[in-house]
Amino acid sequence: MTASLLDVLRAIRAPVAAILLTLAIGFLLVASITDEPVRAYRDLLFANFDSLSNFALFLNRATPLTLIALGVVFAFRAGIFNVGGEGQLYAGAITTTVIGIAGASMPAIVLFPLALLGGIAAGAVVGWVPGVLKVRLAVDEVVTTLMLNIIVLLITSWLANQVIRDTTAYGAVSWMVPETIWLPPMPLVPRATSGFLVAVVLAFASWVVLFRTRWGAEVRAAGTNLRFAEATGVPAARRVITAMVVAGGLAGLAGSLYVLGVGHRFEQNFSPAYGLVGLTCALLARTHPIGALATALFYAMMLNGAAYMQISTDVPRSLVNLLTGLLVLLMTARLVRAARHA
Amino acid sequence: MTDRDIILSLGGIAKSFGEKPALVHVNLDVARGEVHVICGENGAGKSTLMNILAGIHQPSAGSLVLNGRTVTIADPIAASRLGIGMVHQHFTLVPSMTVAENIFLGRQPRRFAILSDGQAMVERAAELIARYNFRLDPEAPVRTLSVGQRQRVEILKALAFDAELLILDEPTAVLTPPEVDELIGVVDGLRSKGRTVLFITHKLREVKAVSDRVTVIRHGRSVSTHRTADVTEADIARDMVGRDVFLVGRKSGGMRVIGDAVLALDRVTMTNHAGRRLLDRVSFEVRAGEVFGIAGVDGNGQTELAEAVAGLMPVQAGTIRFGERDMTVASVPARQAAGLGYVPEDRLDRGLSVTMSVAENVAAANYGRAGLVRNGLVSQSRLATFADDKIREFDVRGAQPATPAGWLSGGNMQKLVIARELERQPSLLLICQPTRGLDIGASEFVYKRILDAADRGAGVLLISSELSEIFALSDRIGVMYSGRLMGVLDRADADEGRVGVLMNGGAEQAA
Repeated sequence: MTASLLDVLRAIRAPVAAILLTLAIGFLLVASITDEPVRAYRDLLFANFDSLSNFALFLNRATPLTLIALGVVFAFRAGIFNVGGEGQLYAGAITTTVIGIAGASMPAIVLFPLALLGGIAAGAVVGWVPGVLKVRLAVDEVVTTLMLNIIVLLITSWLANQVIRDTTAYGAVSWMVPETIWLPPMPLVPRATSGFLVAVVLAFASWVVLFRTRWGAEVRAAGTNLRFAEATGVPAARRVITAMVVAGGLAGLAGSLYVLGVGHRFEQNFSPAYGLVGLTCALLARTHPIGALATALFYAMMLNGAAYMQISTDVPRSLVNLLTGLLVLLMTARLVRAARHA
Repeated sequence: MTDRDIILSLGGIAKSFGEKPALVHVNLDVARGEVHVICGENGAGKSTLMNILAGIHQPSAGSLVLNGRTVTIADPIAASRLGIGMVHQHFTLVPSMTVAENIFLGRQPRRFAILSDGQAMVERAAELIARYNFRLDPEAPVRTLSVGQRQRVEILKALAFDAELLILDEPTAVLTPPEVDELIGVVDGLRSKGRTVLFITHKLREVKAVSDRVTVIRHGRSVSTHRTADVTEADIARDMVGRDVFLVGRKSGGMRVIGDAVLALDRVTMTNHAGRRLLDRVSFEVRAGEVFGIAGVDGNGQTELAEAVAGLMPVQAGTIRFGERDMTVASVPARQAAGLGYVPEDRLDRGLSVTMSVAENVAAANYGRAGLVRNGLVSQSRLATFADDKIREFDVRGAQPATPAGWLSGGNMQKLVIARELERQPSLLLICQPTRGLDIGASEFVYKRILDAADRGAGVLLISSELSEIFALSDRIGVMYSGRLMGVLDRADADEGRVGVLMNGGAEQAA
């Protein structure tokens, strides 16, 4: 028991050190900008917990990040550098919205699963395409996932502006989906989406699937050494494609849950680059599902905290971008050093 | 022996990389004009020692006396200035240039200081070739030469520097048996011209054939120096391993019963994208209880043959049967279910996932059969027990179930692969280059496992470019050349001469 606890401590020692160092350097920066560095930092880190509504916003922010990061974890474990989280997210969100609007006359018991599954399926399809191209034609997945992001974003933009646009509202937003299929809020936290619970459950489920099932072992075998996987009889190509379908499905679910639980409609700018931030979360967690949940929570805290900080002091919220870059830098520096010693 | 006869003397050489000692204490005296073999297992420190002599590494301790003077060899250029010439295992020639150009690369004879004097260069190359009797055309492009000829160009490169002491690092690793014989002739010639040769090898047969004296290195220490004539191969092997070595042979057990064919190939043909035939109408059978060895120089279709049998590369024509069943287009799991065990030639490529744990590597392809899955989840306790059993049974050193497979040494990785594939008690064991990079101790273990499998009744298809193990293990020997099976010999009829001729594509001479 103590031994495994030590193992855990050893595993998280480096990322925790990187985070602390980042925050320390950030504090020096803040101190050079404002007269109230302590206040600014307090808001950055703790304003999320000042009120129940702040806490709810924090959970709402963490939900899509967690799900996208989990998707990226699946893709990475299968050896695919999936940069397509944003496109998969948007595909899920727009599909759920379209189904929700088009099926408004249907009973909720039919429409809700239809809208949810439709969103998941749309994300899965957007993940499936680069998976197949990679496996069958050896097309680089970074290129295909990035390009698909643009394609999906432009399609959603056209739909949101031309087809399902709410003409009574300002900006590129769709009509609302029927209230009957809105997700109930989380117990005890009225304004938080219960989608967060889904994300937490899926984080643990992902860990089980990846590390405690034969299928997970085969995905990881394919991801770490495709030729080894083939030789041991793993249908490696199929595993890689399936992992990408799961990755896309999780990001699609993120979009779907956002529409059903938070936005209740499609908003063209609902994502502050969740795809990229989710990718960073997954990488910082060293593609571990539970770790991805932790890093997603940390990022959600920083993203929202930065807004509170900007309101209460004169420190611009873009400080968070700087801290993010710094954190990635420190984490990478650590990895390179470890690699050289190995 | 007086001091004047000693060209090179090493005293207590040690070298560590970080905390890891590669050499602990090496003493070595090389007499002028002798052929001195440095012999040791993989990892014993031979290469480190040679790299110190070549100026690539600096020793951490010890003295280096060359021609009676204590020297330090700062870099490879200093080494050649001191008269030490090194011929590396991997050649450093420019294929498009001629033999003469390669020999004088970077130091061509000059005319008017800047113009390269091609005529003088060819003449000097021809003179060198004639002096050592090397039978090379100085104006032939290197790409047209055989491996053995290229090696001689490398040796000439060193001699053109007036190397007194020539170091050959595992020179026979890339050669066919006839080429090895030629090289031994070349080394004899060098000795008669008064050159001193330091010859690195771990092959015992060569030690006896080539050397005047032999020094054995074990775990970074020089453990013995003998006059070669005074010792047997077994003596040298004992020094290398530190204990008596049981050199297994096929003849040892008489209990094997040869049964029906477990594998039958009929005119199997594989072509690459360019239309070149990688396998050309290959037909043979492997019968239950026998070891069928495939000999050949690397790259003559052995890899493709293994991939075709394992189901990893499609064949364009011909059939592959496991027993009675046509498996030509069957999937890998179907072949495994039909009794195939496959130990690939490169454990890092197809054999293992080095970042995954020992347990997961040994369990791959065995989850179902070994009952490791309970209620859809991999039982961690069963997985650990299973891995522990295999680690013990196959003596995988330095392994815990959770250790990443990449942390193991080459020999222990190989044991892991073999443990996984033998777990299914295969009726057909396809095993490729089973001891590549392994030391004697590990090789011994692997050989025993192969013979055990055959004794149990499995048909074994052994593919190896190491002729000694083909001869030691096989009941029948097939020889591959340029994608074709040149012939199949019974072990009793096969000798290195006949197999060697077939390996070079000479079917006619062999008949």
